Amino acid sequence: MSSLTRDTPARAQALQAKLGNARGPRFWRALEELADSEAFRRDLRGAFPRLADAAAMDRRGFLKFLGVSLALAGLAGCSAPPQGEMVPWVRQPERMDGDLPQFYASALPTAGYAVGVLVESHMGRPTKIEGNPKHPASLGATDARLQAAVWQVWDPDRSQAPLRDGDVASWDDFAEHALALDKRHRRDGSGLRILSGRVLSPTLAAQREALLQRYPSARWIRYEPIGDANTLAGARLAFGRPLLPRHHFERAEVIVALDADFLASFPGHVRYARDFATARAPDNGRMGRLYALEPTPSLTGAMADHRWPADMRGVDRFARLLAAELGVAVARDVPADAALQVRVRAAAADLRAHRGKGLVVAGETQPPHVHALAHLLNRTLGNAGSCVEYIEPPAPLEPPAELAALVASMRAGRVQTLLVLGANPVYDAPSDLRFADALARVGDSIHHGLYRDETARACRWHLPQSHALEAWSDSLDSDGRASIVQPLLRPLYDSRSAHELLAMLTGGESDGRALVRATWQARMGDGFEARWRTSLQEGLLPAPPAAPVRVRAASAFVAELPPLPKPAGEAPLELLFRPDPSLWDGRDANNGWLQELPRPLTQLTWRNAALVAPALAERMQLANGDVVELRLHGQRVRAPIWIMPGQAPRSVTVHLGFGRRAAGRVGDGVGFDAYPLRQSRMFWAAHGLQLKATGEHVELAATQHHFTTEASDPIHVLTLEELVAKASAPAEPGAAQQSLYPPREPGDYSWGMAIDLNACIGCKACTIACQAENNIPVVGADEVRRGREMHWIRVDRYYEGDPAAPGTQHQPVPCMMCEDAPCEIVCPVGATLHDSEGLNLQVYNRCVGTRFCSNNCPYKVRRFNFLQYSDVLTETYKGQRNPDVSVRNRGVMEKCTYCIQRIERAHIDADKDSRRIADGEVVTACQAVCPTQAIVFGDMGDPDSAVSRAKSSPREYLMLEELNTRPHTSYAARVRNPNPALPGDAA
Amino acid sequence: MSARAPTVRDDALLGAGETLQSVTDTIADRALDRPPSRPWLALFLVALGLTGLFMVSIAWLLLRGVGIWGINIPVAWAFAIANYVWWIAIGMGGTFISAALYIIGKDWRSSINRYAEAMTVFAVSVSGVFPILHLGRPEFFYWLFAYPNKMTLWPQWRSSLFWDFCAILAYLIFSILYWYAGLIPDLASLRDRARSRGKQLFYGVLALGWRGEARHWAHLEALMLVMAGLAVPLVFSVHSMVGLDFSEGLLPGWHSTIFPPYFVAGALFSGFAMVLVLGITLRRWYGLGAYITERHLDNLARLVLTMSLIMAYSYLAEIFTSFYSGDPFEIGQSMARFTGAYAWVYWLVIACNVLVPQLLWWPRLRRSHALLLLVGLTVLVGMWFERFMLIVDTLYRSYLPSMWGMFYPTFWDLAMLFGSVGLFLFLFLLFARWLPVISMHELRKLVHKRATRVVAEEGT
Repeated sequence: MSSLTRDTPARAQALQAKLGNARGPRFWRALEELADSEAFRRDLRGAFPRLADAAAMDRRGFLKFLGVSLALAGLAGCSAPPQGEMVPWVRQPERMDGDLPQFYASALPTAGYAVGVLVESHMGRPTKIEGNPKHPASLGATDARLQAAVWQVWDPDRSQAPLRDGDVASWDDFAEHALALDKRHRRDGSGLRILSGRVLSPTLAAQREALLQRYPSARWIRYEPIGDANTLAGARLAFGRPLLPRHHFERAEVIVALDADFLASFPGHVRYARDFATARAPDNGRMGRLYALEPTPSLTGAMADHRWPADMRGVDRFARLLAAELGVAVARDVPADAALQVRVRAAAADLRAHRGKGLVVAGETQPPHVHALAHLLNRTLGNAGSCVEYIEPPAPLEPPAELAALVASMRAGRVQTLLVLGANPVYDAPSDLRFADALARVGDSIHHGLYRDETARACRWHLPQSHALEAWSDSLDSDGRASIVQPLLRPLYDSRSAHELLAMLTGGESDGRALVRATWQARMGDGFEARWRTSLQEGLLPAPPAAPVRVRAASAFVAELPPLPKPAGEAPLELLFRPDPSLWDGRDANNGWLQELPRPLTQLTWRNAALVAPALAERMQLANGDVVELRLHGQRVRAPIWIMPGQAPRSVTVHLGFGRRAAGRVGDGVGFDAYPLRQSRMFWAAHGLQLKATGEHVELAATQHHFTTEASDPIHVLTLEELVAKASAPAEPGAAQQSLYPPREPGDYSWGMAIDLNACIGCKACTIACQAENNIPVVGADEVRRGREMHWIRVDRYYEGDPAAPGTQHQPVPCMMCEDAPCEIVCPVGATLHDSEGLNLQVYNRCVGTRFCSNNCPYKVRRFNFLQYSDVLTETYKGQRNPDVSVRNRGVMEKCTYCIQRIERAHIDADKDSRRIADGEVVTACQAVCPTQAIVFGDMGDPDSAVSRAKSSPREYLMLEELNTRPHTSYAARVRNPNPALPGDAA
Repeated sequence: MSARAPTVRDDALLGAGETLQSVTDTIADRALDRPPSRPWLALFLVALGLTGLFMVSIAWLLLRGVGIWGINIPVAWAFAIANYVWWIAIGMGGTFISAALYIIGKDWRSSINRYAEAMTVFAVSVSGVFPILHLGRPEFFYWLFAYPNKMTLWPQWRSSLFWDFCAILAYLIFSILYWYAGLIPDLASLRDRARSRGKQLFYGVLALGWRGEARHWAHLEALMLVMAGLAVPLVFSVHSMVGLDFSEGLLPGWHSTIFPPYFVAGALFSGFAMVLVLGITLRRWYGLGAYITERHLDNLARLVLTMSLIMAYSYLAEIFTSFYSGDPFEIGQSMARFTGAYAWVYWLVIACNVLVPQLLWWPRLRRSHALLLLVGLTVLVGMWFERFMLIVDTLYRSYLPSMWGMFYPTFWDLAMLFGSVGLFLFLFLLFARWLPVISMHELRKLVHKRATRVVAEEGT
């Protein structure tokens, strides 16, 4: 066992020696071995620091709170009294009895654009988000952030009442203020500025137009910290106009990803992941091939057949060499060593061999000319039109320079009124703009948002915004397809939607629903009511998505490519900014589920870290958790480091979204804020970073620590050739192992699960979907650090090979539901037992908490309530809970149940109709959410069921089969399809 | 047969010149009249403090849950179970000395069996606290027991924890009865000698009306013989059961048939060490040199040495079987033991349990009380760490590398370990203060035996 800690070189040598001696695939999980961090410090800073200042209250403050308490006293229930007439249910509507969930179609934003969802509601309480199978951007799946949206509705830290100068005010007060505003800007609106995020709602866009007509000199700037400026600029270079590429990964047989994380952070990534998995299903002997170049490991890179770490310059160079190789007239003076030439030639040959069925994709983080080269290559290779189309941006943003202009005019005192709609620029604007200073010079500032965040605190007025599940709206997906956003409940607090707020400013219809209906009535015309009703049911408006634009590529830009940056040698490092996979730009920082979700690839929770390459850490003698100072252009930020295998040696990655100062009880002060390092001229990468060790150390809360030299081989990996050979070979007679126990009587059903490791992209949506479905508590950073996270389905991540460029594997691990379960025989009270349908049950009521079952579980899938983890005191959290699942208290063991509540529901439905449960009728939460459909669940007793078919794949294997536990959960081996022209170069 | 003078070895069981009267006087005096000595008081205060700490820890534990300890997934058992196994093992030694030596008629047990039995009772009591407290929901500990209930729910008979629960309960009840039965004649002696009304009542009630009739003695002798006969198999069964708690598991490092005998040997080892430690302490501070003699200490030291050799054999056998199995997990587990994160624990265990006791080969060293005390304490420490090693070293790295994790004790882990030592000391000191630490009636029997033998020898 060795690790990379203080005495790094020696350990790295030991590590390399081990890897060098290895035979067969060796999997390892992290460079740090916890064993060596004897300086384990009990960081007693709680993850949920209490609202300490609430105690220190003066008389004035007390009166304020008293006022709020009185104002909110009527809100103890779920919602305010309905404003319409109340009619009791004399006859209960069908399927409206209390224990049946209702599903409503809606749309929620992630990664910039909306995804269609179905929201599960129990007696008026939204409890769970599911993807909308009829929505093309979802196809039934969501990502992790969408799953967590339901937590946000019930977040007790949401803003609850309008505030004026920090004092509680009323909407009537603001209405008065709105009149004054109108008076102030009546003439032409000069001095009025509005700052918002992306305007996804067509209704809001119409209101924006109306407002700008009313106040012609006003400006409305749409800004997102995670925008698409490079992508659009790249299209402008190539096509002369800003367009967004829409990829068809299901048609692409060869993909070259230039720092393009299309599986996790592209707009539309949920659908992209599904398409990508479709193209890689290997069981018919064919699958696509993915080459990925990237400075920092991404989920897309982890799926690649060839993953080549390259810093920003390296990606740029590769793009030029590839273009040159494929006949684009790029200056040939790009330096390249022999190994790189081999790679470029191999990739180019592969692309050329798959004309019209290949793709070159550039990520938003790349400069415009790399995008333009990608567009040009796709045109040249005939991929455009088949594998990629171009559309007008459905919801455009202003170029970032507009934000700078806004700040300049604010600073110059030319802005009298600034209205901030749902944005948080004080926290996330580029640091060189010094937005907060400029804001202080604005006479009248108004913030409308879900939280009293940093910007709200800096504004004179703060107005609470209704959550997307509380108000009517509409929204566009990344294809420009519109959906209605319908409320699941009345606003919990005294909040308004953006539509209602704008109506206050511009006058006219003030009801959100009427506004949205008016937008679509105008567009649908005849038969509106019926179509509206259908749209509400199906979650899709009949309006067509944005039509593909016919483009003609101009290659003029090729002659004017910016010079490739000079090779840096030993010189300064580059700093990369990336959205946090969970918190995105920081908007979800107060979401406990997201904070505690182990980040894909790092497995870190509750904190961000500066990701550095193993070689850099070795050179600087740094171990995981050592605090460094990041110095860039006069800014200094302290951050713990995390050694990231596969990171480009000169690149250091920081994730945005942490270090919030006014996020709420969960998110305040978690991690470090990377925005101070981010300036408007370098959104994604900055050169000239200096790292300085501080000698401090913090214990990071990671859910993984170990790599192995043990022959446990939890993950099986095949190449496509091996798979084809295996599939054609006669099946080996299964060496049936003997058991001491008599065989069980087969029950009516035998539930089983098959997980396809070749489809799994490691996004962890399953983990959080399971958390939402099964009332799994959040435990906080300290408890995670102690190894007590509660997730029922975890996604293990293993590395293979050289730490500088390792192969990465993901493995979701729910309960294996062993037929001969080791946990069952050791429980003294029979709290865990087997049922006739092959389920390994956990009876919470009976559990006394000996924890022997967990000790004896070879897969370690059991989770224990070491403390009272479920927050049973905070009222609003109760609203989110799934009433079909017990809330577990202190001292009992819990684990994955295969969503037994869903199985029982299906039983009841089937029993009512005197029939068997149909295949596909029971869908577990993890299965439903999976963007790549890596999880299949069903009755193993039925040879025709989907799960039986999946389990007959030649790739199928059982984890730790030699223990003879006979699991019902099985895995399909990962398959790689490396280019034969690049032997020994596979990821 | 030639006439021979009483040898040192014979006499060494009892100081020369001890009479029926002097034996009873000396021992009863320590329980009845002599004011507590300074060392007793000092130690009592320490024990009281630690017991207080133990009680506070228990209160906090019940209030907050087992999460106050450092346990986690994968290491879901740690200090509590280690403490439990350690204490119950210590108890084992007392029963064995008292019962097995009684059956085979070894007289030298007479001076040490009383406090050894008391040690057993207290150690088992302290030990029994842990399996209950370690539960996530200690309030439902009785669910482990087969009791009639409306839901007709029974324990899960295949689980060793159920059998373990029965074994502890049986053993606790048995050891209390065995100890108490042997105490009755001495309680009657104290009753008769007590001068204050309170003490007369206290001892009188406990003596159950013992009048020293021949019939009483006959019954007592029969009872003690039967109980001793029961006790010996119980020692083996209880500790085999504790061993099965682990070997029932599927984990490499636990899943081994060697555990039951290995645990019995370990139990006797630590039990003998504790008897040795307590014997030396009592002898010195209670002035009992005439009864707990060099010969006793020498015998105990030899027992400790013997058990140490058996332990060494067990350790070797464990290593052998793991490599002989060819199972990569078993081999990996063994290698992790030697070189992994907790390698220091393993080597500490080897040093304390195998290496240090080898000093006892030298008779000269066996006569050094300080050294014996030190060896005894070393063995006790070593055995605690052995329990820790068996539990944590196995759990922290089982099959899937993704779920390997470390265990770090918290303040409350340590508080409960030292608190339990405090509680044991507290109980033992109370015993030493109020009850005869050496069985008066058995010593009198010894005096009588010696007298008859001397007379017989003189007569020839």
